[in-house]
Amino acid sequence: MGIPSKDRIRAKLKANNTVIRILLAHPMHTGRAETESGELIPAEFIQDIRCWRNDVEVFTVKCGTATARNPYFSFQLTSGQQGDKIKIRWVDNLGAKGLVETIVK
Amino acid sequence: MDKLDEQRRTILKGAISASTLALVATSGLLLPQRLLAHWPTDAFNAKTVENALLALLGQTEVAEDEAIQFKVGAPPSYAINGASVPIEIQSELDNIEQVLVLVEKNPFPLVMSMDLTPEVKLPFKSMIKIAEDSPVMAVISAGGKLYKTTRFVEVDIGGCA
Repeated sequence: MGIPSKDRIRAKLKANNTVIRILLAHPMHTGRAETESGELIPAEFIQDIRCWRNDVEVFTVKCGTATARNPYFSFQLTSGQQGDKIKIRWVDNLGAKGLVETIVK
Repeated sequence: MDKLDEQRRTILKGAISASTLALVATSGLLLPQRLLAHWPTDAFNAKTVENALLALLGQTEVAEDEAIQFKVGAPPSYAINGASVPIEIQSELDNIEQVLVLVEKNPFPLVMSMDLTPEVKLPFKSMIKIAEDSPVMAVISAGGKLYKTTRFVEVDIGGCA
């Protein structure tokens, strides 16, 4: 299973709802795993994911370490139309940030 | 005399800035964990389901309810690899404010917590890690009440290593 090199996002209009799918590229280390030489890999995981639609905040996910590697999320927003701007921002426990944007198709 | 004075000044200045730096460092302002003040550290570091719920919602009274359709694993209730187990949460409840996912036997049970606005509609799908065979819970907070659905999941390879 290769690690996708960048965050991906898809937003599609389906039966009058906006279906959003996100795939983030992140190792999500729990802080308990060891390398082959027996050293602990320090914790590194996404803590907070937020979603905006046309600059209105609609959805927040807070993650612990037990979210799988390369986190995948899928959810729906009521109504919406083609051309809506969907924006996702994430922050991990080390302060790294990511931003992905797309337009509803 | 003048020279001595100047030396004293630099030493004093140095001492002051060093102590300020030390203060800032010890107060934790420089630690990256503090960047997210709203991240509920207590809840995510809780070692039991009850403590996690208590820290996050302030109550542990949860009604077992089948109003939540909750699928874990593929095929349901079974996962070959605990490192990425698909979950799907669907519910017909109104006014859903919060959705939590907890894995009872994980070192830290709380997996994720979603804050929903009325614009968000379920189903919600994601992937989680499960350490060993364990009950997995979806807790929904809707209209001031808590609802819970539990599924027991068998895992072939533990995923929290």
